[in-house]
Amino acid sequence: MSTATRPSAPAVPEAARATRYLRIFGTPVALLGVVAALYLYVDAQDLDRIEQRSLNAEYLVSRAVQHLSLSAVVVVLILAVAIPLGIVLTRPWARKAAGPVLTLANIGQATPTFGLIVLFAVVFMTWGVHTIAIVAFWLYGILPVLRNTMVGLEQVDRSVVESARGMGMSRARALISVELPLAVPVMLAGIRTALVVTVGTVALATFVGAGGLGDVINNGIISSRDTVLLTGSVLVAVLALFIDWLAGLVEDLFRPKGV
Amino acid sequence: MPDHMIQLVELTKSYPGQSEPAVDALTLDIPEGEIVVFVGPSGCGKTTTMKLINRLIEPTSGRILLNGADVTGSDPDELRRGIGYAIQQTGLFPHRTVAENIATVPKLLKWGTERVRARVDELLTMVGLDPAEYRGRYPKQLSGGQQQRVGVARALAADPPVLLMDEPFGAIDPLTRETLQNELLRIQREIRKTIVFVTHDIDEAVKIGDRIAIFSEHGRVAQYDTPEKVLSEPADEFVADFIGAGASVKRLSLTRVADAAVATDWPTVQRGEQPRESDREFLLVLDEGRAVEWLPRRDGRGGLPVLNAVGPDHTLYDALNAMLTNNSDVVVVTDAEGTYRGTLDMPAIQDLIHADDTTSVPRRATKGEVR
Amino acid sequence: MGFIEYTADSMPALLGATLEHTVLVLQGLGLAVLIGLPLALLTYRHRSRGAVLAVAGVFLTIPSYALFGLLITPLGLGTAPSVIALTLYAFLPVIRNTVVGLREVDPAVVESARGMGLSRTQTLLQVELPLALPVIVTGLRVATQMILGIAAIAAAVNGPGLGNLILQGLTSAGTPFAVYLTLQGVIGIVVLAILFDLFFAALGRLTTTRGMMIRA
Repeated sequence: MSTATRPSAPAVPEAARATRYLRIFGTPVALLGVVAALYLYVDAQDLDRIEQRSLNAEYLVSRAVQHLSLSAVVVVLILAVAIPLGIVLTRPWARKAAGPVLTLANIGQATPTFGLIVLFAVVFMTWGVHTIAIVAFWLYGILPVLRNTMVGLEQVDRSVVESARGMGMSRARALISVELPLAVPVMLAGIRTALVVTVGTVALATFVGAGGLGDVINNGIISSRDTVLLTGSVLVAVLALFIDWLAGLVEDLFRPKGV
Repeated sequence: MPDHMIQLVELTKSYPGQSEPAVDALTLDIPEGEIVVFVGPSGCGKTTTMKLINRLIEPTSGRILLNGADVTGSDPDELRRGIGYAIQQTGLFPHRTVAENIATVPKLLKWGTERVRARVDELLTMVGLDPAEYRGRYPKQLSGGQQQRVGVARALAADPPVLLMDEPFGAIDPLTRETLQNELLRIQREIRKTIVFVTHDIDEAVKIGDRIAIFSEHGRVAQYDTPEKVLSEPADEFVADFIGAGASVKRLSLTRVADAAVATDWPTVQRGEQPRESDREFLLVLDEGRAVEWLPRRDGRGGLPVLNAVGPDHTLYDALNAMLTNNSDVVVVTDAEGTYRGTLDMPAIQDLIHADDTTSVPRRATKGEVR
Repeated sequence: MGFIEYTADSMPALLGATLEHTVLVLQGLGLAVLIGLPLALLTYRHRSRGAVLAVAGVFLTIPSYALFGLLITPLGLGTAPSVIALTLYAFLPVIRNTVVGLREVDPAVVESARGMGLSRTQTLLQVELPLALPVIVTGLRVATQMILGIAAIAAAVNGPGLGNLILQGLTSAGTPFAVYLTLQGVIGIVVLAILFDLFFAALGRLTTTRGMMIRA
């Protein structure tokens, strides 16, 4: 559509649209810029043998792939448990359990992730390192999705649900075609949080030897090589910001019209 | 010729990016001790003009004179401490008690504790709230009408010569608004401030104002005159449209009960005395000068309490309302202290409504009479 | 030797680490307030508050291990990068809640304060800040809960605090003390979280004056 045929919009939405475009396109451009600058900087360095061991394409790509696949497994497990649990806990017959479960989850959230993964590592030494990492980060990421699913469903106007029931919808039908769509924006915000938190916490998988981009940071600290440390830190930060941006786009896309 | 407390000279406010100024070269003199009402449709610039006076909005050009002195360039905070300010949403500080709210400006002016305390109690009494009961309350513990009373008390705290009121009774239910309007008039008789009162309600303007400035748009004043003149001789079509139909009924709200022909021949009887014969269906029972009961003539039992009596400050419109509420064609009239003065009946009011326009506009019960 | 017995024996070390952890968190929070509060006060009426909040949001999105790592290059290992990292994380809750708290103050209340002749500063100090204080305290509460956990990672950059017990647990994996040390670190942080929460709940009640608690 050409700009000429578009009806002229007032000045204020124009500015809002500008910031929206900045948000949509500015973030990836800035992140790309950061990565490019990092590449040019590292490329200009005279790398010693220790640095070369971490700073080569093959190693970095393998850690990134580990990082992403570990994150993906954790997030899928989180969604598979937290969303159904959130739905169940908001049903009238299970309301009584909601308080205790949330309290438990809140206390769990106060547990430091670093402590949680180490605790699993030293207690369940027979488990594989990946299992340890996945279980620890899964437990840690449940709360935001669980809480937002419950809040999202509970803030749905009771009268809307009642009128759906009044029109003859079954409980399940009202849940699927009325309650859940109206809860989506709040639920998506929780999922976005869980995604970003998981991508960040997976950087700690290196402490139990489960790999990921945290390895690069760890190598940098252990070997006192600032270039390695910087590369690892920047890559983890960029990855998290990128995932946050991506999830933000999805959030915008799936927000029901009229809400 | 009265002294002018506030003079606006060629006052203009324009906002960047807007082609027409919000207030366009307005010149207006506001006499000392009068209530001037700014009235007009929304967006006409009446509120902007009021806020230009205490410079909550800074004028683009023009001058503001307060008691003859040019205050256009003076320190706005100092200026505002000398101008009372009451607004529709009251703006009471929710974290401070009623007493602390009222004490705001006196404390800014560094009054002594004892003086502040005495002033707070004096003001609470003036606005009809018992100091002992209300001093320590928080705004949220008050009804809307009570909050507005506290708002007025707070605006008057440091005894400023000028009071600005921005739709103070706009968010109040009609019955309470009526009461608050009457009380404002009562208070004004005591304090005789120069009051600028903004409203969009022409009835309120007519009732409250010594003068009315009808704003059309961009702060242009279509007519600036007494309520009588505005009602009987609208300056142009805009004003005529704005005051709308039913102007003759509105005239009722211009006449005070004090100035109407009150009948004093209703048969009365002192409490405890034997009713004497009369041609009326009901007798009025008086108790220590107050009318307390309507007593049926026939059997002398089962009297009705006297409800909704009107005082001298009430208008004939109030009297008509009282009759309609009581489902009766007569209403008891009292003086300011509540002592029985006489009665007013429906035919008397009908005469006024139907009377010829030019001759019947009654002499207005000017608040100035007391001066 | 059981956990209780072991903990009784190692109490001085545990208390020392807990104290270090508390001080570290308070330093991070204090610095965030010292910088974030004035920043919020300067920008809350201005469009630039959006930019400030966006930058604070970016800090919060950067994973903790990466942020600690980024700060080692300029600040070296130890306490300095730990405190600064916690400060950067605390910025968003502190600044956002201050901005939101101040902007939630009824405009009519501010207008009437200005209308009565309170100066900008007087209006801010006597009216806006007292009314925004409960929201600001909530921000501090959220920030504290968050950085209490993140502070455990300080140990990985040679910083102080309970994270060191967890790290010691990890390096002694296989010995019976590994679990005890890790548990001490984790439980220590959870207890601190509960204590801080109680403190902020009390502070929140204290800063909500009676007039604001009353429901209309």
